[in-house]
Parts: sequence; structure tokens; C-alpha cells
Amino acid sequence: MRLTCKASSTLAVFAVSLSVGACEPLADALEEPTQFVSPGSELMAQQAPQVQRPTASGARGPRMDPSEASGRWPFYWTRAAYSGYGRGGWGRGGSWATDFPKGDRQFLFVLKRLVRLDAHDWENAVSLADPVLRRFPVIYMVEPGYMDMTDSEVAGLRRFLDAGGFLIVDDFWGMREWNVFEYNMRRVYPERPIVDIRLDHKIYSAYYDIEEVKQVPAIGFTRRGSTAECWGCEPEVKGMYDDEGRLMVIINFNTDLGDAWEWAEDPSYPLQYSTYAYEMGANMIVYAMSH
Amino acid sequence: MDRIFEFFFKYRPLVFEQGDFTFAAPGTVRMWLIAAGVVGAAAVASYTVARAKSTVFDRGIMAGLRVALFALLVFCLLQPALILSTVVPQQNFVGVLIDDSQSMLLLDESGTPRTSFLQDAFTPDESELLTALSDRFVLRFFRFSDVASRIDGPGDLTFDGTHTDLGGALDAAREELSGVPLSGLILITDGAHNSDRPLTESLVPLQAAGVPVFTVGLGEEVVAPDIEMGRVEIPRSVLEGSALVVDVVVTQIGLGRRTVPIIVEDDLKILAEETVDLGPDGEPVVARISLKLEGEGPRRIHFRIPPQSGERVERNNARTVQIEVRGEREKILYLEGEPRFELKFMRRAVADDENIQLVILQRTAEGKFLRLEISDSTELQFGFPASREELYHYRSLIIGSVEASFFAHDQLQMIADFVSERGGGLLMLGGRSAFAEGGWAGTPVEEVMPVVLGEPAGGEEGFFAEIVVKPTPAGLAHAAVQLGEDGEGVSERWDSLPPVTIVNPISEVRLGATALLTGTSPDLPDDQVVLAFQRYGRGKSIAMTVQDSWLWQMIPALEDQSHETFWKQVLRWLIDGVPESVEVVTDQEQVEPGESVRLIATVGDSTYIEVNDASVTARITSPSGLIEEVPVEWTVERDGEYVVEFRPSELGEYEVEITAERDGNTLGSDRTYLYTAASDEEYFGANRHTQTLRRIADETGGQFYTPEDVASLPDDIRITGAGVTLVEQMALWDMPFLFFLMLTLMGAEWGFRRLRGLV
Repeated sequence: MRLTCKASSTLAVFAVSLSVGACEPLADALEEPTQFVSPGSELMAQQAPQVQRPTASGARGPRMDPSEASGRWPFYWTRAAYSGYGRGGWGRGGSWATDFPKGDRQFLFVLKRLVRLDAHDWENAVSLADPVLRRFPVIYMVEPGYMDMTDSEVAGLRRFLDAGGFLIVDDFWGMREWNVFEYNMRRVYPERPIVDIRLDHKIYSAYYDIEEVKQVPAIGFTRRGSTAECWGCEPEVKGMYDDEGRLMVIINFNTDLGDAWEWAEDPSYPLQYSTYAYEMGANMIVYAMSH
Repeated sequence: MDRIFEFFFKYRPLVFEQGDFTFAAPGTVRMWLIAAGVVGAAAVASYTVARAKSTVFDRGIMAGLRVALFALLVFCLLQPALILSTVVPQQNFVGVLIDDSQSMLLLDESGTPRTSFLQDAFTPDESELLTALSDRFVLRFFRFSDVASRIDGPGDLTFDGTHTDLGGALDAAREELSGVPLSGLILITDGAHNSDRPLTESLVPLQAAGVPVFTVGLGEEVVAPDIEMGRVEIPRSVLEGSALVVDVVVTQIGLGRRTVPIIVEDDLKILAEETVDLGPDGEPVVARISLKLEGEGPRRIHFRIPPQSGERVERNNARTVQIEVRGEREKILYLEGEPRFELKFMRRAVADDENIQLVILQRTAEGKFLRLEISDSTELQFGFPASREELYHYRSLIIGSVEASFFAHDQLQMIADFVSERGGGLLMLGGRSAFAEGGWAGTPVEEVMPVVLGEPAGGEEGFFAEIVVKPTPAGLAHAAVQLGEDGEGVSERWDSLPPVTIVNPISEVRLGATALLTGTSPDLPDDQVVLAFQRYGRGKSIAMTVQDSWLWQMIPALEDQSHETFWKQVLRWLIDGVPESVEVVTDQEQVEPGESVRLIATVGDSTYIEVNDASVTARITSPSGLIEEVPVEWTVERDGEYVVEFRPSELGEYEVEITAERDGNTLGSDRTYLYTAASDEEYFGANRHTQTLRRIADETGGQFYTPEDVASLPDDIRITGAGVTLVEQMALWDMPFLFFLMLTLMGAEWGFRRLRGLV
């Protein structure tokens, strides 16, 4: 199933178009009851073919519908499911499932409008311990401040990265969450340094020219007129390189790109943040698929 | 056999071949026929009248026998004879050409060298053959190996020639003796001809001049036991670090089907060691040896099989070849229609290959491109090249998942010309916008592809199948799909790789194309063509129909280098042999000092259109550092081809650099190497080449001899009709055969009568 949408020439216009429902479902969309209950679900119901999808029903995450053969599409927006103690999106699953699946669907939907990408239309959550992870060379991980990976997940993530996979980390704040994340990454790579990704890095110009790293707030904070979820914390982009000097992990710290992707259609969400979040998302995908 | 013939028919077969038949009796043939008719009729009548107790059958048989006897008598009375032109003694010349090459020193099974025949046959005052020849002809002796020259006699021979040029020897003798009455040439050799020049070029003038060649074949038909390394097939140049698969052809005779090692080494170290199972007697087998050459520059690679116990010729167990290892960084343009992991992982696979610059042009949105590995900011700044000059700048082109409609028609034609005219390599990858699914059918590029495009498959949803990839028999032998370092276990290595997927079902290669990898799937009625190639014009095209070969990197164990190895080899293969606009080669890889070699340069402009008015200079640097500059001239026969001949005089490596200019602008330059060394060619094919020698004799009207039957040679030359001749009549009526025939007929009649009780 694929979505159709009237063409919009700019990201800003497109972001607005989400909020006014410029996109239409395919004519052959199935008419089945929706399971979505979150704010914005009405809009998503209009946008997406309404089929029964696997839910984020456990810490290990859902598996892909067997009828959707992995490999059919050149690109799957894949969310890394890990063990942890945080709460997940819609109250189900672990912290890995934050903003899942609406954020994933909406990001894919917009990404395919921006980038010429032959991508699977649906979310795709895979456990780090599952060997099938290596069929999806770019994975997205959120809320790692609540992660507590099992040994098999540690081994799976290391194997994934060593083989050439690319990890995008997002949505964790403050030193406490950083320490949790760093502790877990040290289990994967005890020695590999985590370094700043400065603005002269090619990831900032892989698709859009990004000249400033912005702190993207969760929607709840924008309503309070704030961007940071922790006192005085500044947005940072960091990364890990492999032995050949190739970037393999990008870490968006003290920022929440995922919330901007999820709530871009909400008129109350500031356009400058959702625009930045989508630009950064497009750059990370294009870079990860070419470097 | 000839002796039996001569006993019955008085003369040897050659006399009958050369002579014209006639009857020498006076009177006309008609008169004799009438007389024979009368006598025959009387004989028949006598049997008809005198019936006695005989039957009609008896009388018929007896009359027939009697008539045959009378007919034979009449034939003899007609005095049958042969008319021949025989040479006038001492009025004609005969050239004696003696092989002076090293192979004449080879020993036969009894330990006697081939040269012993010369001692037996040409020792003055002792040899019957020499005496018989000298009595009839004026003899002129020539020695020959790679060149021929006059000598006073066999005593001047040294047997140190390293090549044998039979044609050149015949030409030289014919020209030298063109002003004298020449009855024929005697060619004494083992018949090994290792010159590139075809023999026919020398035989035609001899036929026209009516000069027969009498060949005397020396040596044994089969030299055994022996192993011979027939040839080594290796490219003349290779990119540094490329995997090479070299074919070595080995033949044995008399040693049995044993396994022997082949050692490959350069001047410093052993590069590879492989074993080969020898085939049946005289049947060549091909040993396939994988090796990798490091270090830029010309290299000499030695292949050898250690001598086996009892081998007759050991020097034909080794070959030395020359190869230039190039260290250039070659540019490949990879156009991808969308962000795909295939691009990322291919880049990674060849990232550490210093000889490949994989320039990326990736469409990220309509009219928006990501450029990577470009040389400067202007490269590909307007997207895919719009001119030949810009596209031909690259040696090869990879087209990923890009629909044909992305290109203007001129660009599609330009891509086809890139392969056919520029000689570039084209690699097309599988994807939703590739092949038939990308609308490539009916475009100028379709013809270039090595695969047959059908209708787009799968409808709106698209086709999809997961396949397991295996090498074809051709693939097992091809360097591009060898996954191991040592070329071992190719099939097993491929079996260990995970399945991959396709969205372009393709089951057929074009006529003349070769499939190296195929894939199987329960969803496919026929095997999927995974990797196929064909030569197209000056270049080659390759189709790789898989859309996610990167799975071979992500899924297998980390130490598995299959993905990297595969893509390095495929990309190196893609750029291998792609010509430059200006190139130079030599017509031989190795020559001996003093031997002539041709430098052949091809000159084109930046769009690879041949240039005939260029100023081309060859700068030749000898092993001792002497530099010689010679102009290279356009051949006129072929556009853009310039040739000059030169003779290296020193042993060692010559460097040849050519530069082509037009109107003061440099079109390009190129460099090649030539090695001068003593040759071992004489030890290859060291048996007697009877077939070649018979052919020379047959085509010129001469005869082939061996040392055993060469005694008749002087008489045979006498009747060939060449030179100053007399007409000689040779009577046939007294042939013993006729006498025996008469006795047989008379005896048959008498026996018949006895049998039937008529006496």
C-alpha cells in the first residue's frame, strides 16, 4: 500500500499541508477499524491505509508482518527495540517505543516527499538481539536514557555496527540519561570514543545545508514556551566512528527530533523545529545510505 | 613400398607422376586398332567354330581370356613410354637449406642428435647422397634459423639459432638463386616453424616460379616421455592488486596421468604454486592459477614444472611472460537514481582500493544530486554528462536504479557509444527502475546490455523474488567471481552466502554474452541471470541484476570478505582493458637482440575519433639508458593506426613511450615495455613436424623424405622439369608387370580348360 499526496515544493509548505490534510489515501485502501487512539490519530487515519498492524506489545517489540517480505523495499525505517525500564509510546512497550508508531509513519510519509526514496510505507521495529536486524542497515533508537540492554542485544548491536550498519540515536536529556546511554554503549564498544559532530561535517550538507544545531522540544514543552527538558542543557550532536574513520553512530542529545516528526501536523508545534527535525532526518538518511 | 612398385613397374611412382604417357610405335593408333580387331575377331571365331564338348559359357570365358592376351600383346607392340623432362647434368642449381637451430641438437631415443644425418649425408667424398647430388647439380648451401644465409657447406653450421622461420628461409634461397636455372630446393629440418609469418606467403612465389621443394624431415614423430607447457594466457597489463586467473596449458606424452606442480615466481619470490592433473598422452589440459600482483611497473613472471624423471626435453617445462602492473587511479562514474544501500556498500568495498576512484552521482530528489569522490567542484556540476568529452573522461560507467526516461535520447546514444566507440565498461545494476522495469527496452542502450529484456514484470506492485546465487561453469573459471584469495572452493564460497533479492526477472542472455552467476528461486520458472557480460564494440557491458548484494556484507560473519572481494574484482574487471585515446603496443612481447619488432600506436582525439594527421613520436630507452626518438607514421590502411619498426640490440628491458600531437596540442601519450632475451622456443614442439613438411613438398611439387628413404632424392630432382632440361623417353613395354600379366592370362586359360575337362 502506498500513499498519494499532492506535490508541495518546500518542506515548510509540506509541514503545513500535513495539518490541513492535503494528502489522500489510495483509492484501494482497506476499510478496517483503526487502532490509533492518540492525539492526531484522526489525521493519521485519513492519511494511511487502515490496516491492522502489529502493535508495540512488549519490550522486544513487534515483528514485521510475515507477508511483508524484508528486502522487497530498498529502505525500511527501522526502530531499534531494546530492553529497558522506561515507558513506551501509547503506554505499551519499553522506552524504545516512544512516539511509536505515529512518529515513524509520519516521518516516512514526509521523508518520501522530500527525498526520492523507495521505502516501505510502514514502521518496522526490530529487536537488537534479532539477527534479522542486519537486513536493515539504518536503525533509529529513542529514549536510550532508559535502556538496559541484555547481553544478546549488546552483541547484536555490535555485530550490526561492525558489519556496516548505521545507528541514529535521539530523544534523551541530561547527564543522568547520558550516563545510562554511555554505560550501555560502553558495553558495546568499551574503548571507542564518542566525539562531537561539528557543523563542518558532511552530514550537515548531505541533503539540506544545516547551519545550526537546534534543540527540538517535545510537544508538551512547546506549550510551556520551553525547549529543554533539563535545566540548562544544550543540544549536542555526537558520534562514533569505526576503525576506518567512518561515522557509524549519530547521537542527537538534549533534543527530540522524534517528537517533531510526530507532531509536525499539530498547528501548535513550532514550524522552525519540525522543519529542522525533518531536514536533519533527511540528511541523516541520505548520509547513512551513501557513506 | 616404393621398391615393390619399382620392381613391377620398372620406375618409381614419382616418374609416373611427372611423365606424360605416349606410344612410341610407328604408324597410327587407328591402324594398330584395326590390326588388333582382326586378330581378336579371328580368335573369337576360332572358339565359336571349334565347339567340341564346350558350352557357350566355356567358350565365352576362353575367348575373353584370349582376346585380353592379344590386347596386351598389341599394347606392348605399341611401345608405351613416358615422356619426361630431365635436367641436364651440371647445368642446374639446387639449394640445400639446412636447419641451424638449437632443436637440431636434441637427441633421439638412442642418444643420437639430429645433426648426425648431416654428417652421414653431406661428408665430402664419403656420402653417396652428396656425391649423387653433386654429379647432377651445382649445389648451393644455406643455413637458416630465424634468418637464412649462404654457407660453404654443412661444416659452417653452429646450431645455435633460437627461432626457426621456414618461410623466411625459402624466401631467402629463392631470391638468392633467382638468376640461375634452379631445379629445386632441399629443405633439411625438423619442421618446427615458430615464426608468426604464415608459410603460405612463401609457398605461393615458389609455386609461381615452378621451384619444387624437397623436404627431409629429421627427428622423431613423438618425443617421449615429455611434459610441455604449451602456453600461458595472461593479459599484457593489469591493475595493481587485481586478482588474476591465468590459464596454463600443459601436455604430456609417455609419463602417464600423474599430478605435477606448477610454480609461479617472479625474479624475487614464489607467487603461487598449483598442481595440475596431466591428461592422456598428447591431450592438453588447462591449469588455472590465481595470483595477485603488487608493485607498479613491468614484471616478468616465470611458470615452471619441475623436470620429471626420464624426461627427454626439460627446457619446454617453463614459460616466462611479461605483464605491466599499472598503478593508475581509474575513474568510474556511478549514477544512482535514489539513495540505496547498494551504493553505500559498494563504495565501502572499494574504498581502500587505490586504483579505483568511484565517482558518485546520486539523485536524491528530482533535479537534486549528491556528488561524492569528485576531483573538483565543477565535476558533474550539471548532473549526468551531456557531452561525449565529459562522459569519455571516465573509464567505466555504472548505472543503478535509474529509469531510462531520466536521460535525453542523445545521452542514451552517448552511453551506447561510450561502450562501442570509446571502449568503456558499462555495468547495470538491478533495481525497480533498472532493465525492463525501468523502461530500458527499445532504447539504444538495450542493445548494449548482455541480457534479454522482456516485458516489465509484476504490475504496479512490482516483481520480487529471493534467490540463491551460484556460479555457472564459465563463472567458476572467471576471475571476477573468485571469492577466495587462492581461487579455491569457488562454489563452496558462493553456497555459503545468504540469499539476495531481485525485482527484475531476467532469464536469458544475449547471443554471444556469457552468464557467470545465476540464481534460483521457487518463485522463478527459470534460473535468474545474476551476472552476465558481453563484448560490445571496443568495450564490454556487464549486468548485475541483484538489488541488494550488500546482504553479502551485512549477514555473513565479519571476517567474511566475499562482498568486498566480489565488488573489487568486478569493478577492476570493468575497467580492465579500457583503452586510452592514445595507446601503444608491440607486436611481440619478447624478442631477441637484432630481431625486428613493430610498435603499433592508435591515436584518437578526446572523443576517441581516430586521428590520421597527428605527429607521433616514439621515445625508446634501452636497458643501458640510451635514448632514441623515432617518428611513427600513419599506416594509411587503418584510421588512427601508426607503426614503426625497430630492432633492439641490447639484452634487457626497453621502455617505449609515444606522444601524439596535432596542431601543437598534445593528444595523449602512452608507454609500454619490451623485453629482449634469448628464446627457448626451439624446445617447444620439438618433435618432427611431418605434416608441415609434407605440405611444403606437396604444394610446390616436391617430395617428402626421411633419412631412411632420402637416397632416391637425386634421381627425383632430376625429373621434376625445373631448370635446364632435356626431353627423355622412358620405355614401359618391358615392365615386369606386363610379363606377369601375360603369364597370368595364359595360365588362367589353361587352368580353365583343365577345370572344365577341355584338354
